[in-house]
Amino acid sequence: MNLLAVGINHRTAPLDVREKLWMSNDEIRKAVAALKGNPFSECFIVSTCNRTELYGTYDDKGNAGAPPDTNSLKDFLINLKARGDAVTREHLYTMSATGAVNHLFKVASGIDSMVIGDIQILGQIKDGFNIAYEEKATGNFLHRLLQSTYHVGKRTRTETTITEGAVSVSYAAVELAHRIFSDLSKKSALLIGAGETGELTAKHLVGRGIGNLFVANRTRSKAEELVAALGGKIVEFDALQQMLGQVDIVVSSITTQKFVLTRGDIQRAMKERSHKPLFIIDISVPRNVDPEVNKIENVFLHDMDGISSIIDQNMQKRKSEIPRVNEIILEELTEFYNWFNSLQVNPTIHDLRTHFEQVRHEEVEKHINRFSQEDRELVELVTKRIVNKLLHLPTTNLKNGSEESEEEKHKKLSIVRSLFGLHKERSKKE
Amino acid sequence: MVVAIPRSIRVVASLLFTLIIPQGLRKFNNCIEFNFGNLMKTVIDLITIALPVLYFSTVWAYAKAFFKDSIVAKRTKTPLLLGTLVIHMAYLLMRTILFNHPPITTMFEIMSIVSFSIAAAYAVIEFRTKAKNTGYFILILAFLFQTFSSLFIEDLFEVKPILRSNLLGFHVSSALLGLAAITISAVYAFLYLMLYHHIKSSSFGVIYTKLPNLEMLERMSILSIVIGFILFTIAIAVGLIWLPRAFENFSYFDPKLVGTAFIWAMYGVGLGAKKTIGWRGRKIMILSIIAFAVSFFSLTIVNVYFSGFHKFY
Repeated sequence: MNLLAVGINHRTAPLDVREKLWMSNDEIRKAVAALKGNPFSECFIVSTCNRTELYGTYDDKGNAGAPPDTNSLKDFLINLKARGDAVTREHLYTMSATGAVNHLFKVASGIDSMVIGDIQILGQIKDGFNIAYEEKATGNFLHRLLQSTYHVGKRTRTETTITEGAVSVSYAAVELAHRIFSDLSKKSALLIGAGETGELTAKHLVGRGIGNLFVANRTRSKAEELVAALGGKIVEFDALQQMLGQVDIVVSSITTQKFVLTRGDIQRAMKERSHKPLFIIDISVPRNVDPEVNKIENVFLHDMDGISSIIDQNMQKRKSEIPRVNEIILEELTEFYNWFNSLQVNPTIHDLRTHFEQVRHEEVEKHINRFSQEDRELVELVTKRIVNKLLHLPTTNLKNGSEESEEEKHKKLSIVRSLFGLHKERSKKE
Repeated sequence: MVVAIPRSIRVVASLLFTLIIPQGLRKFNNCIEFNFGNLMKTVIDLITIALPVLYFSTVWAYAKAFFKDSIVAKRTKTPLLLGTLVIHMAYLLMRTILFNHPPITTMFEIMSIVSFSIAAAYAVIEFRTKAKNTGYFILILAFLFQTFSSLFIEDLFEVKPILRSNLLGFHVSSALLGLAAITISAVYAFLYLMLYHHIKSSSFGVIYTKLPNLEMLERMSILSIVIGFILFTIAIAVGLIWLPRAFENFSYFDPKLVGTAFIWAMYGVGLGAKKTIGWRGRKIMILSIIAFAVSFFSLTIVNVYFSGFHKFY
């Protein structure tokens, strides 16, 4: 298998190096166009902030069958974007044949990601492949490889729980809200402070369809920006105590030395809201909300400690799913290999002969009783001869295709296979 | 042993015999009836043993699905429950036909019905709501009730004539369904308190991830109370109409009546307090559990240790 992969990821390089290699769609397009034809017959590039990877297949005929020089490929990637000496060849890894396929499957399943189970990567692989497709840099092989890759991605999502469970502060907070309330669209949330994590949490709450969002911030302009982006209403920072009676979720992320919400505040608010449950997430350090508040009935207060223990737990759970993902990868690898082998000349000839012999054998078996004992041997002989003669020319023609390109050979073989239904037979055998 | 089969079934059967089956075969009528009774008795005995086993396997599957995330258990749990329910239903019907009275004459017959009502009510909940994960906690009660029932149940052919009344059937079935409803309410209240505690103390284990959310648990618990309260009200109303007529030694101060009135009032006050004072969350859930405990006490202890006209076994 003439597949080669060159890349960089969080295991081999720190972020400031990785981001130097990150390519925009246009840059990918240019790179793919440059690599197409020489040294690769088919290629595509995946680029995210955490990884940039180049996959390519090369022809047996060009370069006397030798693979392209990996060092020059590394240099190509380095020189394409990074000026200066921030990125070196040591930051990049290369893989070939099975290793490369296995790696691509791992990436697609999310077990190679920095955050295990990250679901965005599959979309980014699709994007990279589509660009290569538009540049006409993809052929039979990559199409089938990508098909298997998507399959791996899809199966890990449906058959394992590796993508489940929040692993970021904002998601974990929203998940917690879901353990308390059943329908967020009937609830309101108050965001105190317009910091990054608070904003993300508010964003996820809006994404889950929160009924109302109120934002209180000391600097009004920042609150206005947030409301413009997410929707919702602005509450004066000094008036936020009055809001506590009306909202069900409070997200607090403001930098302050003394508590923004005290036990007295919440007790008063609970009376006002006739003791409906109130969920408070305090995601700031130092804390904004008096920990004593958690002792009030029907009030659920969580700070960063609680949230990070959820995240740790979910991370652990995701990790425990890796063996199941590896099983899927192995299955898909086998499947892909079967396909790949089927495109080789000799297995195809073998399958073709087996198929004809099977048909011959069945027919002879069915009618053998009509012949006398002494004729039976003759029938075997004659039918075998007919089959051999019929297959002689197709066999030599298949074998003599060496001057055709890989692409044409694959096409021819797959036509033969589909004409005689050989694909089915292969899978039946397994 | 010729067994008495309800008249309606006999009429239909003999009609069938006259219309469809030729004259000569009609002689077998009695014969068939005889064998039929015997066969039914054997089947009933078998199911008596099988039901606790069936409930146990169902509870086991629900536990496996809840705690171990077993895929096989997730697939088999609901069919297992439905199968058990169908067999249980057939069992109760067969008992009614064979012994010629509904199975409400002894405490252990009643336990079997309670078990069936709890499991059936849960099946409805599972199909109607998203709370598919709570089966283990509820069905374990059905299993316990049925096990006690199977261990001690007797085959009574002769019962007091008073226990064959139609009004009685209505009275008892609404009371028992009410009991099943408040049992389920107490289970959900218990689950609510567990989850409440887990969220409060930031322990995010199986309870945290698998149970329905707090709001849903509270809603289901309260809905069950409302249904239970309505059923109790019906049971008491029917009882008050029928009891004075049926019993000579009827007394309004019978321990069971007093107990029942107390329970009824307790649920009524609780529901009223929820409506008017706005009791919510933890408080009302604790109340539900206490009320259930008192009801259960009344059902068992009062039955065993106190005497009165409202006692049949």
